[in-house]
This record gives sequence, structure tokens and C-alpha cells, in this order.
Amino acid sequence: MEDNDLYAALLHEMKNNLVLLAMTLDNIPHCGQEPHDAPLDAARLLAQRTSERLMQSLLLYKNSQGGVVLNAVDAYSTEDFIHELALHARSLKASLKVTGLVDADVPAIWFFDRNMLEMAMINAVHNSISYAREQIEILASLRDGMLAISVRDDSDGYPAHILEAVAMDRPLQSNGTGLGLRFARLIARAHQNEGRIGELRLYNDNGAVFEIRVP
Amino acid sequence: MVIEYKTKTALVIDDYPNMRSAFRTALAAFGLTKVDMAATAAEALGRVKNTRYDIIISDYNLGESRDGQQLLEEMRHLGLIGLETAYLMVTAESLYEKVVAAAELAPDDYLIKPFNADIMRSRLDGILAKKEAFAQTYRHFDRGEMEAALAGCDELMKSQPKYLVDAMRFKGEVLVAMGRFDEASALYNEIVRLRAVPWARLGLARTLHLRNKSGEAEVMLEDLVSQYPELIPGHDLLADVQIAQEKYQQAQMSLQRGVSTSGKSILRQRRLGEVAYHNGDLNTAESAFDATVQKGKYSIFLAPNDFANLSRVYLDQGETADAMRVIQDNRKLLQESDDGKLVASVMMGLAHSRSGNAAEAQRHMNDALKMKQLGASGKPELLLDMAEGCLQAGLADAAAALVGEVARNAHDSEQLLAKAKRIYHDAGKPDEAQEVIRQATEQVVRLSKEGALLAQRGDLVSATKQLFQAAKESPRNPRVLMNAAWVAMRLVEQDPVQSPYLAQVRLLLDDAAYLAPDHPRLGGLQTKLRSVEAALGIKSAAPRKRMGQMNGR
Repeated sequence: MEDNDLYAALLHEMKNNLVLLAMTLDNIPHCGQEPHDAPLDAARLLAQRTSERLMQSLLLYKNSQGGVVLNAVDAYSTEDFIHELALHARSLKASLKVTGLVDADVPAIWFFDRNMLEMAMINAVHNSISYAREQIEILASLRDGMLAISVRDDSDGYPAHILEAVAMDRPLQSNGTGLGLRFARLIARAHQNEGRIGELRLYNDNGAVFEIRVP
Repeated sequence: MVIEYKTKTALVIDDYPNMRSAFRTALAAFGLTKVDMAATAAEALGRVKNTRYDIIISDYNLGESRDGQQLLEEMRHLGLIGLETAYLMVTAESLYEKVVAAAELAPDDYLIKPFNADIMRSRLDGILAKKEAFAQTYRHFDRGEMEAALAGCDELMKSQPKYLVDAMRFKGEVLVAMGRFDEASALYNEIVRLRAVPWARLGLARTLHLRNKSGEAEVMLEDLVSQYPELIPGHDLLADVQIAQEKYQQAQMSLQRGVSTSGKSILRQRRLGEVAYHNGDLNTAESAFDATVQKGKYSIFLAPNDFANLSRVYLDQGETADAMRVIQDNRKLLQESDDGKLVASVMMGLAHSRSGNAAEAQRHMNDALKMKQLGASGKPELLLDMAEGCLQAGLADAAAALVGEVARNAHDSEQLLAKAKRIYHDAGKPDEAQEVIRQATEQVVRLSKEGALLAQRGDLVSATKQLFQAAKESPRNPRVLMNAAWVAMRLVEQDPVQSPYLAQVRLLLDDAAYLAPDHPRLGGLQTKLRSVEAALGIKSAAPRKRMGQMNGR
């Protein structure tokens, strides 16, 4: 077997195993008792995060010139998108209150690369799940003519150095939250329309708010 | 909308046993009770032949020569699954755009690995809700009730903003199927103005091509494939528009680019072989036809003629032994059908003839003539090969009959007529070709001209008679068939007493659809037939589907 084939086959199996791991964990029921449910939730979240990092690294590896190329921009239902994120968040931590909302003036459909945007948003959802006290709100709204998808939690908020790095467009640290944010920024900026470029915004407002704007 | 899963049936196709059971468990958790499994494409085909599924979940990578996309195309081709079946493609590639097919062949959605049960559930919910919203419109389309399908799309566009773009996309397909290309162009333009998504640009280019604006379509497609090099249907369509402008060299390059991105499709390999052969690039033709035959082992699209194509290239390269080997190695498969037997006899005979073995050549040609008499049919190129073999074996009358048959059905193909002339030239009878062709086509050319003239003068009764006679003379010439159908329908419109003609019109159009499924006039004529029938209160049968004729094209 050629080295390239071997590489592809190893990756393929790793992806399959991650799917199986995730689906196996999904299949273990909650039983309402903390000593059982808490580690189960933690294991699920960890399986998700591992998948996430794998996808992100593969995506970047393929685009060695840097940046992310979007090949699957199409019309998607904004409501379905929010619904899917909320569902995902709820399934990962039963004890959290998760609300999914779409502002009345948001169009029924918007053009974006669903899988890419979802990857970035799910990353934010996972962060919030780790830090939120009681609740998470996932919202679609119109901001300055762009579709803004945000995840808001009731945590202590982002530390100042992260807020600053994102606001000043400076490099983010290469671990944990910073890693995911770097990726989210790439995906946000890959979304372009009529000369406008997508944005990643972070701020604190009674908790942490992560927002991606798509033109 | 809450989707009711209890009553739904599903088929899971994956070569990895653990994955199959994970899907089964997840589907059971959604409430499904009937979930079938298939490990291979062949097994899946067997399943869908016997059972109608609401949901099909297929892995893209099936661990054999056939992938999930090809399996989907075969199922659609065989009419085994309709628009109402939800098809979810699972892929480990985030490069899933590679597999994005033409709308009619696209899965309903993709599930990118790794994923979990929630994501899978949301994808299925989304597809099934859309299927429900479109159910009535799909039913109309499947029954050929195009006006109603169109109205259904308009209604969805108005009442379901969530499905606005989906409804526009489907409306484009309906308009194209009806032959209303101008309106389809306008619609795709409207979508492109919303956002220049690749499929809308592809649709726009396709309608331009159908409106004979191939130059414009070419510019648009060049732009599209340079931006999305992995958009395979873009390369295919680009080749179409280049061929329409007789730019065969460029068409070959387009097909080569398509094949280098995705070489598994035997239809694309076959097409590349044909164009390369036309260009005299025998090396490329050989490798493409060889790939067709090799990959075809797993495909329902493989036809006897594919072996003739490969064998013919070897003959042209002077590799007689290879030409024979192709036929001998596949003897068993070729003996399964009359058309296959014809291919075997003709190519073996011609190979013997080229290597100077006259007695063997004659024996095979006599076998071929017998098969032909029994009703075996072959592509024009094969019939000309047969004519060559007959001529070399001293069967001059048989040769003339074969050349005549080809000429009558393709009196407008320069390439075939040139080959016919070369055959006579090589046999030392350069003057005879012209005469054989003239005699054979005299009748149909005269009938066609007279018919057209009569129709112009408004004598539709006589015109129909002449053109039906022409269609009888040239039963495999789609243009002649469509002309006859068109004039007969005008006659029936003018005089309903002539409505018995409509049965023949249907046969003519079915044959034309078989011979030239992509002909731009076809959809319009089929739609016209339905409206003429509807006006007379005749219940129409659904027209043959475009996809139904790919085999042996």
C-alpha cells in the first residue's frame, strides 16, 4: 500500500471510529443521577470536541495556502439552523436551559456554507456548555444587513486578553478556546457577498457572547 | 414540524458492519421499526427492487468500485427510487462538493463524518419535512402533469418562504422537462441574482445550451469550472456545448478534466473515449474505453457496444490480437444478449478480415448477418464495421444494405457517411459508396422535403402521411421521428377526428427519446402531446423519463 493510501485509510477509519464512539455514547441513556449523568455528558462533549478538532485540522491541512475555501454555499433555512444548534446543545448537557430564537425580521433563508458555519457555531456551543452556569441562548438576528448567529451564556464572560485579541485582529493563543476562535474567524471571513466580508465578534454582556456575521 | 418516524421504512447501506448497526440503533431510537441493511451496492439494488423505502442512508465510500453516488444514479436510472424517497449521503470527505451531482441526481442532503445522532436526526427531519411540503408537486411531476407541477412550485414559492429557493430550483427542472427553455433561463437568472450558487449557474448554462446559445454557455461554464474545478457536471456540460460548436479538441480536454477528478463514472469514460476516437487520439480512446469496460463490471450502464468500441480502437492501432482478446475475454457476457452476440461476431470477423484470414472472417460475418436478421441491433459504427467485413468477404449486397440502413438513419452525420465512403474505398470500390448512399437516402430525403413543403402549405393530412412514411424509412433518425410527430399533432389539433394518430405520435416520441434523450426539442414535443391529449380528454401515460435511456447511447 502506498503511503498516501495508508494515510487516507487511517484517517477514514479514525473518522468511522469517532462516529461510532459518538453514536455509542448517544445511545447510553441518562438516568437522572448525577454520578452517572455528569461523566456521560462529559464523555459526549469530549467525543464531540475530538471530532471537531480532527475536522478542523483536516480542513486546514487540505488548504495549505491558508484560509478556508467555501464550496457549498447554498440557501438554508435560518430557523432550521438555529433549531439544529439548540438541539445539539440540549443533548450535550441536560441540566442546562437552552433557548433557540430567530428574530422576526430575519429572512426565512440565507445563503451560507452550512457545514462550515455549523462547525464554527458548534465549537462556540461547546465552549458555552463548559462555562455556562444555567443557560445558553442561541439567536439569529439581522445586524447591519448581515445574518448574525450568536451564542450567549451566563458565564463570567471572556477574559480580557481574548476579547482584545479578537477586537484588534491579533493572533489568538494556540490552545483551548483560542484555537477554536482562530478557526471560527477563518470561517466567518470566508463568507463573502457583494464585497462584504463575514465577521467574528466577541463581547461580554451578562455572560459571554460569541457572534458570527454572514453577509 | 414534527416528523413521525414510526411508520417510515429505511435502508442503510454501509460496508462497515459496526456502522450499520450504529445506524440501526440510532434509527430505532428515532422510532423506526423497519430498518433493512445492505453491505454492498449490489445488495442495496436487490433491496430497493423489492421494497419501497421512505429513507435511504448510504455511505459514499462502499469499499468497491462503485460509490454511493453511482449507486444513487443507478437507482434513479432504473426507476427504483422516486423523488419521494429521502436519500441521505454519508461521507467522510469534507470535500463532499466533489460528489455534488446534477440536481436530478443529487442526494437530498449530506452527512459529513464525524457526526452524532442529533445531527443525523436534524438532517433527516429537514429532508422529510421538505418531502412532505413537495409531495403533491412531485406526484404531478412523476405523472407527467407538468402544468400542475409548475403551479405547485409557484404555490410553494409564495406560501413557504423557507423553500423558496428549493421550489425555484425544482421549477427550473420542470420548465426544462417541458422544453420551456426561455422561461427556465429567466428563472435561473433570477436565482443567480439572489446568489451565484454553482448549481444555478450550471442550470443557466444548460438552458442557454438548449436554446442554441452554446457560445454564451461555454464562456459561463469556463468561468464556473475555473472557480470550482471539482464541479464534475460543469465539465460534462462544457463538453456538451463544445461538441455542439464542433470544438472536439476542447471537448476532449473538458472530459479529461472531469475524468481526472472523478474517473469512476463509466458514462463519462465512454464519452471521453468517443470524443478522443473522433479526434483520432487513439491512445486516449483506448485508455478511456478500457476504463469503461473495467469499471463497467460493477455498473448497469455497461453495454455490449463498449466492447466494440475498445476492440475497434485496437484494430485501428493494428493490434489485431488485442482486438480479439477483448471479445474473447468477455465472451460469456456478450453471449447473454443478441446485441452482444452481434458485437462479438462483427468484431471477431473484422479482426480476422484485417489479419487476412478470409475464411474465418466470412464465417463470423455470416453469424453476424444471422443475428441481425433475428433482430439484433447495433450502433451505426458497428453496422459500418459489419459492412466493411461483409464487403471484404465478398458479401456486397449485405454490405450495401447495411450502409444503406446507416445512411437512412443518419443522412445528416458527416462522420458516419465519411466512414462509409472509406470502407468502399479500402475495398477498391471508391465509386460505389456514393451510389449506395444516394439510393438509400433518396426516399427519406424526398419524403421529408415533400412533407415539410405540404405542411407549409397547410395540407397537414398529406404532410403527415409523407412524414410518417419517412419515419418508417428512418426509424432510428430522431429528427425525422420528431418532425413526423410535430406535424401529426398539429393535424390533430386542427381536426380532432384525426386523433387516432396520437397513439403513433407517442411511439415516435418514445423512440426519439430513446435515441436522443437530450435533444432540445424532445421535452417540448412531449409536453405538447400531453396538452393535445388533455384537450381531447384522453388520459395520458407518463412520458419516458429522460434518465431512462442512458444505456447504450
